[in-house]
Amino acid sequence: MIVTNTETIAGYRIAEIKGLVQGNTVRAKHAGRDIAASFKNLVGGELKGYTELLTESRRQALERMLSQAEQLGANAIVNVRFTTSAVTAGAAELYAYGTAVVAEPGS
Amino acid sequence: MDHFATQIVFILILIVVGFVAGTFAERRHLARLEERERGNGQFLVTQLKSFPAFAKNELAPQMVVGEVVVASDYFKSFLAKMRGIFGGEVRSFHSLLSRARREATQRLVEQSRELGYNAICNLRIETADVGGSTSSKKGAAMVAVIASATAYHYQLPSS
Repeated sequence: MIVTNTETIAGYRIAEIKGLVQGNTVRAKHAGRDIAASFKNLVGGELKGYTELLTESRRQALERMLSQAEQLGANAIVNVRFTTSAVTAGAAELYAYGTAVVAEPGS
Repeated sequence: MDHFATQIVFILILIVVGFVAGTFAERRHLARLEERERGNGQFLVTQLKSFPAFAKNELAPQMVVGEVVVASDYFKSFLAKMRGIFGGEVRSFHSLLSRARREATQRLVEQSRELGYNAICNLRIETADVGGSTSSKKGAAMVAVIASATAYHYQLPSS
């Protein structure tokens, strides 16, 4: 599966458009991470716990998007975008969406 | 009255700790970023929608994503609160945001280089919401950044 956030794929021709595919996930951060974060808010620096949380949610959302594309019989997803939104305090949604296509080598 | 005095002393200690540790963390981060960015060499970063100078066909383009969450320190948050009274540019958060963006972009570049690509295009950087703390009453600021781009391989001009 080729995944890009551009509208075209260099070296490939888009033969068929299968439609929009999407994946989302809502994740809550746990108290342990909050404690570490409140300490970091004192001294500054990277919040590794939250970075991991974002990475995990992004992987999950992408995975869901990929399985949708597979079901449609696509072999590539183009123009992938991410958005996040805060659902409640302490939980965030990560939403990934793109267009599933069938791509063939050649231009 | 005594209680009030201890509170002031406590806040002052937090500010000093925040200033010392925060400045140290920021300097170290900036130094490391500069060092890593120097190692990029001819790596091409663009936010063009297409693929400038695409040449290689064997390696299919691939999306890369990088995220980073950076916290402010107590001193910076204090300065920002002061700005909230008088108004004006909040300089203390300016460097925080640019550090987060540079770090996220650098992670993309490093990921792409590991995969054997030498350029990224359509770079998109957006701030994310991890929920809660960004809008908390404590004023504890943090910046979450998600950057995504498409990595590809381009031929260096032979001249």
